[in-house]
Amino acid sequence: MDNLNIKATQYTPKIDFDATGTFSLVGKSYPENTFEFYEPMMNWVKAYFEKDTPAKTTVNIEITYFNSSSSKLFFDFFDLLEENNEENEIVVNWIYDEENESAEEAGEDFIEDFENLNINLVTK
Amino acid sequence: MDISLIQKTIEKDGIVFLTYGGFLSQPLIASMMGALEKETETNELSMGVSNNIFTIFIELSQNMMNYSKSSEENSNDPKPEGLLVVSRDEDKNYMIDSQNIISLEDKQKIEPRLIEVQSLNKASLKKRYRELRRSGREKHAKGGGIGFFEIAKRCDKIEFDMKKINENKFYFHITTYIQSNKEKEEV
Repeated sequence: MDNLNIKATQYTPKIDFDATGTFSLVGKSYPENTFEFYEPMMNWVKAYFEKDTPAKTTVNIEITYFNSSSSKLFFDFFDLLEENNEENEIVVNWIYDEENESAEEAGEDFIEDFENLNINLVTK
Repeated sequence: MDISLIQKTIEKDGIVFLTYGGFLSQPLIASMMGALEKETETNELSMGVSNNIFTIFIELSQNMMNYSKSSEENSNDPKPEGLLVVSRDEDKNYMIDSQNIISLEDKQKIEPRLIEVQSLNKASLKKRYRELRRSGREKHAKGGGIGFFEIAKRCDKIEFDMKKINENKFYFHITTYIQSNKEKEEV
């Protein structure tokens, strides 16, 4: 399976999803049409879990700020990860600047919402 | 267009960071975000306050881009334009104002939601936000249906006003207040 690489723009993050099991999402997220923008990423992840999935998947997310539809999208993304959590080892690192309280709070909320998913808060 | 409310806000010892009136597009919003980032850096705002300003500005401007209508009574065609003002008062409280035209149908959707967010404290807002995000009940093509909850979570006060233009169109003006020296007292 091919890797997924999407360059960052002023309002969308850099997306590097490696088929060997390391996913990275870095930047800002407030696309004009959030669900449309992330559709290729969500489809890629679905295909990734369908066959030949590596034993371990690490997801590094470092988003400085995001709009509310991106918040909903990340929720759907975590939901998809959680669905595949039983058969695969998945670790999510929610990375933020230690001064960025809102990013920290967003991470804490996701941890509470996804009890079965291993989400770590990582300050940089 | 009635901008007297916004004008009063500006004249009351306010320092205006940014004003924009007219047609909105995504690249324009991104450019204004660049200007806002510069301003918050120059004024040494904390990252928390800065991010609250950024997120509220994005929500308001994208709402405007996606839902604004022309004032014409019989047309519901989109017209992505309006007025945006970011200002600061002498006590370093920040205000973001937006005004645009909405249809009666959108007014009926938005108004109860705004009244609800105004009535909730921070803890209840957070709870409702997460419930709505989980259910996806209000989700639609362009948004997660949680925008006003996102705004309310990140500001200290929301005021709004809907002025009738004709039977089908209204001026929708919203003001959000963000305190910059707020401690993390309420959870």
